[in-house]
Amino acid sequence: MSEFELMIRRQDREQIWIDRFTVEERPGMTVLEALFHVQEKIDGSLCFRYSCRGAVCGSCAMLINKVPRLACRTQVSEVKDETTDEPKDGVASIKPSEIIEGRNGILVEPLPNLSVIRDLIVDMDHFYELVDSIKPWINSDAKEKATLMEPSMQIQLEKYTNCILCATCHGACPAAARNGEYLGPAALAKAWRFHLDPRSKEKDRKELAKFINSDSGVWGCDVVYKCVAVCPKKVTPTQGILKLRGKME
Amino acid sequence: MIDHDIIVIGGGLAGLRAALEADKKGVDVAIISKVHPIRSHSGAAQGGINASLGLDDSWGSHALDTVKGSDYLADQDTVEILCREAPERVIEMENWGTNFSRTEDGNIAQRPFGGAGFPRTCYAGDRTGHNLLHTLYEQVLRSGIKVYSEWLVTKLIVDKEKCVGFLAMNTIDSKLESFRAKATILATGGYGRIYQRSTNAIINRGSGIGLAYTAGVPLQDMEFVQFHPTTLLGTNILITEGARGEGGYLYNKNHERFMINYAANAMELAQRDIVARAIQTEIDEGRAFPGGYVQLDITHLGNDTINERLPGIRQISIDFAGVDPVKEPIPVQPGQHYSMGGVSSNKDGETPVSGLYAVGECACISVHGANRLGGNSLLDTVVFGKRAGAAASDYIVSQEAISDDILSKAIADENEMIKALMGESGENFAEIREELQAVMQNNVGVFRTREKLDLAFERIKELKKRADNIKVMSKTNVFNFELLNALELKAMLELAQVITLGALVREESRGAHFRTDFTERNDEEWLKHTLAYYTEEGPRLAYKDVTITQFQPKRREY
Repeated sequence: MSEFELMIRRQDREQIWIDRFTVEERPGMTVLEALFHVQEKIDGSLCFRYSCRGAVCGSCAMLINKVPRLACRTQVSEVKDETTDEPKDGVASIKPSEIIEGRNGILVEPLPNLSVIRDLIVDMDHFYELVDSIKPWINSDAKEKATLMEPSMQIQLEKYTNCILCATCHGACPAAARNGEYLGPAALAKAWRFHLDPRSKEKDRKELAKFINSDSGVWGCDVVYKCVAVCPKKVTPTQGILKLRGKME
Repeated sequence: MIDHDIIVIGGGLAGLRAALEADKKGVDVAIISKVHPIRSHSGAAQGGINASLGLDDSWGSHALDTVKGSDYLADQDTVEILCREAPERVIEMENWGTNFSRTEDGNIAQRPFGGAGFPRTCYAGDRTGHNLLHTLYEQVLRSGIKVYSEWLVTKLIVDKEKCVGFLAMNTIDSKLESFRAKATILATGGYGRIYQRSTNAIINRGSGIGLAYTAGVPLQDMEFVQFHPTTLLGTNILITEGARGEGGYLYNKNHERFMINYAANAMELAQRDIVARAIQTEIDEGRAFPGGYVQLDITHLGNDTINERLPGIRQISIDFAGVDPVKEPIPVQPGQHYSMGGVSSNKDGETPVSGLYAVGECACISVHGANRLGGNSLLDTVVFGKRAGAAASDYIVSQEAISDDILSKAIADENEMIKALMGESGENFAEIREELQAVMQNNVGVFRTREKLDLAFERIKELKKRADNIKVMSKTNVFNFELLNALELKAMLELAQVITLGALVREESRGAHFRTDFTERNDEEWLKHTLAYYTEEGPRLAYKDVTITQFQPKRREY
C-alpha cells in the first residue's frame, strides 16, 4: 500500500504554518478520511468541520490543491498527483496563497474569502449572513391544499434547491475576494430560486429585486463562472445571476 | 446564564419543527445544536415522506402497514396520530416551499416503498431530507428564532423530577455555559456511529439520548436497531429504498434474484428487516461477491428515469464507489441505519421527567415498533416535532421561574469533570471508540445469539472501565475535537450497553431484532416494550405493555 504526503495549512491566534503528515493510502480513501487519520492518530489538535461524509451536508468545504472542494467527496487517488501551483481547468487562479508547495502530495488549506478561526475552520457566519440577507424563505403560512406546480417548474427549481450552502462557490469567487459586502454566488442563486418559485408573493419578489439591484448584488458578479466550476451539486449561480439581471428595472 | 422559556436541543427536522410551533404560540424559544442546523443528518434522508394523499388511500391503510411493519410492537394510538396528521404536515411543507417532485397534473408525486400497500411516499427526487431540512430552516430564519450553533450539550439538569435546563460547551472557546429553560425538547437524532458500518452522519453518536438516560429517563426498545439492506460498499452511504421502489433488482454472485427465496411476493420491496437478513444470509452462506456485498441493479430503468428520480444516488455511486448505476450495478451491503428505540416519550413528546420532551429519532414514541417503515421517519419528525412544540408551550404557562443555584452548582461540578479529563497520558478516545464499533458490528448486528451478545456485554463493560482513564492531550480551547469526542464517547458506551442487554434478554425474534437461537416471534412473553434505566452498575430493565387498538397481532408475510 502506498503512502502520500498530506500538507495542512495550520493557523492559530499567533501564527500560520504548514504541517506535513505521511499517510497510508487505503483504496477509496477520501481527503476527509485522511484528515480524520491525522486527527485521531497523530495530532488531536487539528480541527476541521464535518458531518455527513456523503456530500450532502456541506460542512467540509476547503481548499484542496488550490481548488475549493468538499473533502468528503475528494478521493485521495484523484488529487495526490495533481500539481498544485497551477490552476485546474476552468478554475483559474484562486486567491494566491503565500505558500506555494505541494507537488506529489495533497495541500489542504482553509476555504478562501472567509476569515480563518483556526486551522481549516473558517468564519461561516459571514457567509450565512450574506445568504440570510436576501430573506430566503416563502413568506406564507400553511394552507389547506398543496400548490399545483408544473413538473417542468419543479425541475427548474431543483437546479437551485440542490444547493447545500457549502460555500465552495464563495471560496472560488473573485468578486467575493475583492468585496466582503458582495452577496456572492450562493445568496444570489437562492435569490433566483425564490424569484422563480410560484409560491413567492409578488410583493416579496419586488422587494428582493430591489435589494439585489446593486453593485454588491447582481451587478457585482464578474461572470467568470468559477462558482459553477466548483459547485459539488452542479448548481449554476452565474446563470441565475444573469437571469436576475434581465429582471432588473 | 442564558435564559429561554423553551430550548430545543438539535437542529434537524424534529427540532426545527418543534421550535417553529413554539414560536407560533408566542413563546420565547431557542435552538441549540452541535452543528449548524443545515448540517444535520435529516438532510441525508433520500427516499421520501409518507402521507395518504391519494384518493384511494387512507390513513387507516397507512396505519395498518405501519403496525404490520413494526411486527406489532408499535403503539397503535400513536401510529394513528402519525398517519392521520401526515397529509396536513406534508402539505404544510409544500406550502412553505419544499420542492416536491410532481405528477403530470401538478400534484405531489408519490412512489412505492417497502411494506406499503399503496404508493404513498412523497419525494423530492432522491433528496427529500435535504429539501425538507432547508425549507424548515428557511422558516426558522423567517421567524427569527435564536439559534446557538456549534454548542455541545453535556448535561441535563433535573431537579425534583423536573428538567430545569442544561449545560453546554461553546465549541469556539470550550467554555461551559448554563442554559435555563422551563421546558427542554430533545431532538438530537440517532446513534448510528456506535456501529462500524452505518449510513449515519459521523456526528450521529447518540450523546443526546445519553443525556436523558444518565439524567434518569428510561430508554425504550433500544435493542431494535434498523439495518438498511442497501448501503454502498466501502463508505456505507445510504442507497435509498427508492431505488428498489423504482424497480431495482438485487442479485447475488450467481446472478440470481435471491429475494425469491425470502419474500416471493414482495421480492425487493419486502420490509427492510427481511431484505437486510436476506442479503446477510447470502453473504454468510457464500453467495455474495468477494468483500461481502450483493448487487443492486437499476440499469434497466434507463438513463432518463435514473437522472430524473435517482440523480443523487447516481452521483453518490460515481463519487464514492466509482460505479455509474446507469451502466453497471451498485455494490451494496447491509448497514446500521436507524434506531427504533430511544428516549421513552408519548404522543406529545413528553418524557417521564416533567419539562423534558423528546422527538424524532432520539425518541421512542413508539410508532416504529420493532421495524420502521421506509418514509415514516421524516414523517415522525414533523408530526411529533409540531406536537411537542405545542405541548411544551402549553406546559410552561403554569411554570414558575427557576432559581439559579442548582445550575451554578452543576456548572462547577462539570468544569471539574472536564479538568480531570485533560492530561498527558492515558487512554485514547479513538482506540476505544474503534473497538466499540467493532464489538457492536460483529456481535449485535443483523443476526444475534446469546453467545455473541454475552461476549459483547462483557467487552463493553471493559471498554467502559478503560474509558474512565481517557485523557485529552490537546490543550487548545478553540474547536477542541479531541475533548468533544471524549465527552461524546461516554454516551456511546452507555447506549451500546443498553442495546446489547435488551437484545440479550429478549429471547425472541421480532422485526429488526433477530435471534438465531430464538427464531420465532413470541407474543405471549414478549409483546411488550423494554425500558432501560441508568444505574452506576449498568442498565436496569423493566417492561411495559404495547397499546393495541384495532389491529390484532398476526404473522407477517410478504
